[in-house]
Amino acid sequence: MFSSIDEVIERFAKNNYIASRRIATVIYLASSLKKPILVEGPAGVGKTDLAKVLAASLGHELIRLQCYEGLDEGKALYEWEYAKQLLYTQILKDKISEVLTGAKGLTEAVDRIAREDEVFFSERFVLPRPLLKAITSEKQSVLLVDEIDKADAEFEAFLLELLSDFQISVPELGTLTAKHIPLVILTSNNAREMSDALKRRCLHLYIDFPDRKQELAIVRLKVPEAADKLAEEVVAVVQSLRKLDLKKTPGISETLDWVKALTLLNVQKLDEELVNETLDTIVKYEGDVRKAQEELKDYVRRVRARRGADATGSSDKDLLN
Amino acid sequence: MEEKLVEFANLLRENGVRVSLAETLDAFSASEVTGLGERDVFRAALRSTMVKRASELPVFEELFDVYFSGLGEIIKQASKAVQDALSMSDQEFQKFLEDVEKMLQKEGKKLSELAKQLLQNNSGALEKRLREAARAAKLKGIERTIEENYFARALARELGLDKIEAEIKELREQLEKMDLGQAMKARMEEYLERRLKALEDIIRRYVRMEREKRDIRQREDQRMNQIAEKSFYYLSEDELKKMQEAVQKLAQRLKNVIAIRRKRAKKGRFDIKRTLRNNLDCGGVPFKLRFERRKKEKPQVVILCDVSDSVRNASRFMLQFVYSLQDLYSRVRSFIFVSDIGEVTEHFRTNDIKDALDVALKGDIINVYAHSNFGFAFRSFVADHIGAINKRTTVIVLGDARNNYNLPHDWCLREIRQRAKRIIWLNPESRNTWGFGDSEMERYAVHCDMVEECRNLNQLYRVVDHLVVR
Repeated sequence: MFSSIDEVIERFAKNNYIASRRIATVIYLASSLKKPILVEGPAGVGKTDLAKVLAASLGHELIRLQCYEGLDEGKALYEWEYAKQLLYTQILKDKISEVLTGAKGLTEAVDRIAREDEVFFSERFVLPRPLLKAITSEKQSVLLVDEIDKADAEFEAFLLELLSDFQISVPELGTLTAKHIPLVILTSNNAREMSDALKRRCLHLYIDFPDRKQELAIVRLKVPEAADKLAEEVVAVVQSLRKLDLKKTPGISETLDWVKALTLLNVQKLDEELVNETLDTIVKYEGDVRKAQEELKDYVRRVRARRGADATGSSDKDLLN
Repeated sequence: MEEKLVEFANLLRENGVRVSLAETLDAFSASEVTGLGERDVFRAALRSTMVKRASELPVFEELFDVYFSGLGEIIKQASKAVQDALSMSDQEFQKFLEDVEKMLQKEGKKLSELAKQLLQNNSGALEKRLREAARAAKLKGIERTIEENYFARALARELGLDKIEAEIKELREQLEKMDLGQAMKARMEEYLERRLKALEDIIRRYVRMEREKRDIRQREDQRMNQIAEKSFYYLSEDELKKMQEAVQKLAQRLKNVIAIRRKRAKKGRFDIKRTLRNNLDCGGVPFKLRFERRKKEKPQVVILCDVSDSVRNASRFMLQFVYSLQDLYSRVRSFIFVSDIGEVTEHFRTNDIKDALDVALKGDIINVYAHSNFGFAFRSFVADHIGAINKRTTVIVLGDARNNYNLPHDWCLREIRQRAKRIIWLNPESRNTWGFGDSEMERYAVHCDMVEECRNLNQLYRVVDHLVVR
């Protein structure tokens, strides 16, 4: 557990995650109030990373449930191990005469078989899936329910019991209550509005794209080998691309990918040709690429004009403003 | 504090942010955990517990600033202004305040609590007292700018401002008799003077702030109501954008409903083959049963959308709605017309929504600057595209039925009706005007299964609800 908000920031920083005070506050609240966090925001701003880093900084196990359309309880919670049960049935069949020896009358025989029968629906045959794992885990864990908006509304409703009381009902076994309440992080890209019931149970954290300073700090932290100038230019370009009306706006992860790619190519600073060649690292649709190219042409022109104007002075520094 | 949070929650609600009681309680416990010391942290605590929609965050931010920076900030600023007027540094001021306190202890025994708090710069206590006075003066009831003076006077009365004035005057007289240096005396005097002014200033600004708080409420309230009720014809740029989001949400809702319904559709017959294959790992014992899927009902939609100048804004939304519908049903064919009629199905399928709308409305497909001619459009439709319609087709016509006194050719609609499952007509014009002038609505309505006025978002919601229920 964290003892203060500053500690959250510190421990996250150790795990290469720059948490703003706002993010740290919510994390701290969640860990003290034992409430799940619903993290929303555009794709690629580090929502999933948040959970990973949270687990790492506390030294907890990360249990991940990736949601998708059609995800059902069986896949998320538990399944009965049919094959194993079947095997046991076979054994029972072989042993049945042993079990029944000495039974007086039909009632007793049936009773005895019934006693054996109960074995079949015990925890022995339950195959735990992520949610059950998080509940029954012997140690404290971090549960990541990723892209909850991709799952159906029914599944969302099913999660409510887990999120408010940290317990799960298995019809054959009864209610399983968590030994250690896991820290839960749900992420959503807002493909679909979450229900009020779900939102009420969660703290809400909205992560937006970082501003230029923050993003630069992130790039420096994650790709320390990148040239300073390159990092600055890439961030400036990505920030200006985000202002365009793109189908898929580049996230932080795209920025990082691009910087990494360019660094691998041993690039020190951007030029037009290079940008055109590597643009598809950050922009993923053809229409977007076209729009981005237009914008970048403007951008280069602006930089050139500035360069011309500042030719005598310390032009390098102001190139990007 | 709890009272303040409840009130803040109410304020949020009145501005359209949904805050449940449970969430207010969460906000209590969260603010207990974080404490109130650090403003940004406190803000984050409230933000994460009370606001659950990204779209509502700006409202929260605005209200938080007005509500919580409020009075404390005003008092602080007033105090700073006094300090500046005396042109002292922070340290000097601190020392000066200590002097004041000493003097008060010696001379000011008779002073009222409030006067002491004011002179000692005790902003916490002062704030509390101001709030009490505000409650007594019913400051929360303020609504209009012209009421500011009235409430400022009432607040001053509740505080006992005239009494303080008298007290300070007395204090100044005492000051004369004291053996302080001339410079110190002058300074003290000025301080007393400024402090009194500052209190008046605080009262005035407090009243204005409260008034602004109510104002935000009203402004937001009105805006929300207006947009949903406002006719498509009279939307500003900004409103258009908001409206687009709303239409998209509407389409999303429709999708959800349909997805659920499809899933709930009854399972088909028991499927032996698939059951056996799926249970091979259990030795062929059928643990998991499989059923045949029922054949999907394939509803078909044909949309005829009027894009003439008179309904430009309305058709924009309608087309947007159509675009989303096309995602939903596999078989939607969309036509636009003014006088000529043209198909836009392919454009909608391949372009993203903005480009698609541009293509449809810019005139690349049909001449959108012609005069509306419903009759001609219907006749061309029947001549060229009647094959698009069969017994499973729902035909939706969007238009105002203003035919410019051309031949109505309503027999075309009858012909379409005979082949289709049903015809729904959505008219963006007010119902009172149907049938007047060149409107052929009544003539066309005879052949429609449903005719609805659809001139704002609320009505569109209603129509969609109606459509989905069936």
